[in-house]
Amino acid sequence: MKRMIALLLALIMMCGIAGAFAEDTVKIGIIVPFTGTMSLYGECMFKGATMAVDEINANGGLLGKQVELIKYDNQNDETESRNGFNWLIKQDVELIIGPLSSGTTKAIVDMANDEEVVLLTCTATNDALDEEDNFVFRCCYKDSFQGTIGAAFCYLNGYKKVGAIYCAADTYSKGLYDSFAAGCEKYGIEIVETASTASFDSMDVTNQFTAMIEKGAELVYTPYYYNTIGPLVVPQARSAGYTGVILGADGFDGVPDYVVPGADLDIYNNVYWNNHFDPNADSEIVRSFVSRYQALYNNETPNALSVLPYDAVYMFATAINNAGAADAESVREAMSDTSAVYELVTGTFTLNEDGSPNKGATMFEFYHDTENDRVDFRAISVINELPEVK
Amino acid sequence: MSRKTKGYLLNTAVIAVALLIFFFYRNSMMEANNKNFRLSVIPSVWQCCYLIILSASLNLVLGFMGQLSIAQCGFMAIGAYTSALLSLAFERAGFYTDKSGFNFTVVLILSFLNAGLLSALVGLVVGIPALRLKGDYLAIITLGFGMIIVNLINNLPFAGQNGLEQGSASSSLYENGLGFSSKQQVAWVFLAILITLFAVTIMFMFIRSKYGRAIRAIRDDEIAAEACGINVSHYKVLTFVYSAFFAGIAGALFSCCNGSLSTGTFTFANNSILNSTFLVVMVVLGGMGSLTGSIVAAVLMFLLNRFIKEGEWLSSAPQFVQTIFGYPMLVYSIILVIVIVFRPKGIFGHNEFSLINLPADLKRIFSKKKGKEAGV
Amino acid sequence: MTIFLSTLMVGLRLGSIYALIALGYTMVYGIIRMINFAHGDFIMVGGYTLVFTMPVMTEKLGLPAWTGVVFAIIVCAIVGVLVELLAYRPVRKKGTGMSALITAIAMSLILENLAQAIPAIGPNPKIPQVIFPASSLTLAGITIDTTTIYTIVVAGAMMVLLTLLVKKTSFGRAMRAVSENKKAAVLMGVSVDRTILLTFAIGASLAAVAALMYIAQYPLVFTTIGSSLGLKAFVAAVLGGIGSLPGAMLGGLIIGMAESFTVSYISSAMADTFVYLILIIVLLIRPVGILGKNVREKV
Repeated sequence: MKRMIALLLALIMMCGIAGAFAEDTVKIGIIVPFTGTMSLYGECMFKGATMAVDEINANGGLLGKQVELIKYDNQNDETESRNGFNWLIKQDVELIIGPLSSGTTKAIVDMANDEEVVLLTCTATNDALDEEDNFVFRCCYKDSFQGTIGAAFCYLNGYKKVGAIYCAADTYSKGLYDSFAAGCEKYGIEIVETASTASFDSMDVTNQFTAMIEKGAELVYTPYYYNTIGPLVVPQARSAGYTGVILGADGFDGVPDYVVPGADLDIYNNVYWNNHFDPNADSEIVRSFVSRYQALYNNETPNALSVLPYDAVYMFATAINNAGAADAESVREAMSDTSAVYELVTGTFTLNEDGSPNKGATMFEFYHDTENDRVDFRAISVINELPEVK
Repeated sequence: MSRKTKGYLLNTAVIAVALLIFFFYRNSMMEANNKNFRLSVIPSVWQCCYLIILSASLNLVLGFMGQLSIAQCGFMAIGAYTSALLSLAFERAGFYTDKSGFNFTVVLILSFLNAGLLSALVGLVVGIPALRLKGDYLAIITLGFGMIIVNLINNLPFAGQNGLEQGSASSSLYENGLGFSSKQQVAWVFLAILITLFAVTIMFMFIRSKYGRAIRAIRDDEIAAEACGINVSHYKVLTFVYSAFFAGIAGALFSCCNGSLSTGTFTFANNSILNSTFLVVMVVLGGMGSLTGSIVAAVLMFLLNRFIKEGEWLSSAPQFVQTIFGYPMLVYSIILVIVIVFRPKGIFGHNEFSLINLPADLKRIFSKKKGKEAGV
Repeated sequence: MTIFLSTLMVGLRLGSIYALIALGYTMVYGIIRMINFAHGDFIMVGGYTLVFTMPVMTEKLGLPAWTGVVFAIIVCAIVGVLVELLAYRPVRKKGTGMSALITAIAMSLILENLAQAIPAIGPNPKIPQVIFPASSLTLAGITIDTTTIYTIVVAGAMMVLLTLLVKKTSFGRAMRAVSENKKAAVLMGVSVDRTILLTFAIGASLAAVAALMYIAQYPLVFTTIGSSLGLKAFVAAVLGGIGSLPGAMLGGLIIGMAESFTVSYISSAMADTFVYLILIIVLLIRPVGILGKNVREKV
């Protein structure tokens, strides 16, 4: 009985919390982790989105209305994502920039369709977020594209025997490995050895790399994040005697800040990865974005995680301007138009019927910048479309 | 009519009335298409339901038997994955298409039962060896089992990202056959409430039976209990299995609330509300050895969690307070330490809240206070 | 053969670190019979102290980087003493073994989350500088990192020092007396509280040393660094027989080897499962651990 009373109390409290605001702003919700192990990413994303919103507001807003960004900390957890989603909808938010990981995004995809709220994810690359989802869009490419790009890179550069090491407990890592393996099959590349780590807490990959050497892998695909790649994976691979190519994906963005001071920096040569945008690109839009970002945030170089939410806000802006209205249904209509062109920092692209962008990836390599004695990266090629098998 | 029967009748009556009120409340809210009801009341009810079952089931082991087990979230994971995969398998087989109707009800019952039974089975396998140890060793061995369970699920060949299809190890089961949307949660809310009522009633009956007395005897003095002819290891394993069964049921409820599952939720030290520590906080706060205490504490902790996350009071608080409350786990663990240091027996201690005793209890508490004021 | 040798080396590397951490667990457990779950987080405290002090040592004072460990030891000892004073002692005076255990878990969470709430630390992982220059030694055909050798030497030295401390000094006698029987120890003029406090300080300092050796091998410091590391080290301590110093050493090496060989020869994704499985099997066969002493329960 006590339970029932408590529940009733809960109901009363909940009713008290809710409250609708006057409808004079365009509200954009953003659900990202601000606490917990993934908070770093959440903060980057929030920085990018805030910058875009501030710029739009400084230029007079959208359709004459100011834009309001409402954040919710989901702690990278499914239940909290759903709670946050409900909380945002209660405040009449109709446009939401989605959670960080594919798992947490998937947790609210069905709800977005159900409640008819537009969900735009900028980091959930997993393929399982599929085309049936009317109200769900993304501004990043899918894992199947990203992983296949890795395979295409091997194909274009003539690597025949490759290996892979991934983290079995992580969706990102595992998803990329799966699509890389599928890509390798497509391009006729042999995967000579596959190894994994049980979790991101496993700090030692020496044994895995020794196995790679033993099997004669010329290239090892390691879909991990920068904070393990920089201080752990690359140094351990090299000290295990592996001299071949290390290939990764967008998780490598940020490695130069995570190299061990005083270590031999030549070990980072021969490491390749793909990313969503090139901060050194010779284009006006990228240059001006980078300089504004650095002016705003302590000279920090923006990474993909801060650029994508920035672009996401502008995607909403474009769609709202195209539609001439800011409600979810009109924005969805506008974004479903596959001919609408988005000219953004991560490229000029259109959305396909799945709601995913048609954009290419830039391949990068790390190199030891001997003049300044640091690790830097440079673009080596842009893969816009996957090569055909000859 | 004995006092006991009277108590049961009174409880049943009050629960029935409360349910009825809630039923009419729900219907009127549904008719009015109340957004607040759908988006915050109902999800809260669902979440409270599984938290209640979880903390009550942990209390069986922790409070009544006096053994610290940290595998509870592992059992919950088993329940969640079992029910999700099973219902997904039925959906893929075309047994049901939308989440209503007779076929889906059958699937629901099957999923819940299997979730509980599989957890109980694993509980048996874990319990028989683990409960030979006690205290610190038991804690660490159950922690180990919790880790193993999560590690195994991560590597299950049929829990891939697209559910049954992707035949490889992965952290996340993306498709979840049970995942209810907000509207379906409203429709099925009585499922959650009834299951919780059922589970709590069974647990009450358990602790009031001779089994309950036996495990309390074990808690108070294991050697004396053994000398009295209580088969200690038998009772320990039994309680453990019982507790695992309900943790599995809670897991199935959890999977109803979520469109996707990932094992990260069930690990020992994550930052979510389901963390095993959070559960321990609930049990300790409510009182180790009081089921009603666990229930109250589960609801309280849930409300506190929502209050911290959604409260607008936070933005007007000083920076220092904001920083601390920015890390909810910090707040919970501080609460835990404070409760243990200043009121180790929790809100209820060993006592149960009961309606029939309420007047007497109130009188006692009131007179106690008076006594204090008078300086006695 | 290369795989075998490499696996052996990785096993040694992991094992020596687990051993070093396990020594701290065993020390504290030996005296107050409580798992100090926060021990792993002392490593985190030590790690961050090192990250902040090592640049000062090398750039301002021109000393080798590892000398930062002095500050780490001081900070860790202070944190250890504070944890004992603020949480463990009041609980020990009042509650049961169970509430002490729960407090320990809570303290571990408090430390982890508090660290994140401190602006200078924050959620971003930090990278320490190179501590021991990379070099390796070839002995009878086996190449070993010098850092691994240092770790083993340090762990061994710590074990010997601690054994001497416990067996030969008057403080050690006091520790043993407290561990044996608190009431009797009081009657013999031993200050129980002070002895426990000092033990905590020593245990936490050990964590600082462990942090140094750990980040020398794996240069990445983050707030939850201690949770899984501490757990594995605790497993090592239990395996070797908790309360036994050589046992901690042995347990650490066994767990390290088990982890490494599982990765190479059985399944790299399932390494954790095998580590915990070993613990479970050993505890079932010999609940007191390999070198632990059997204690009869008395009525």
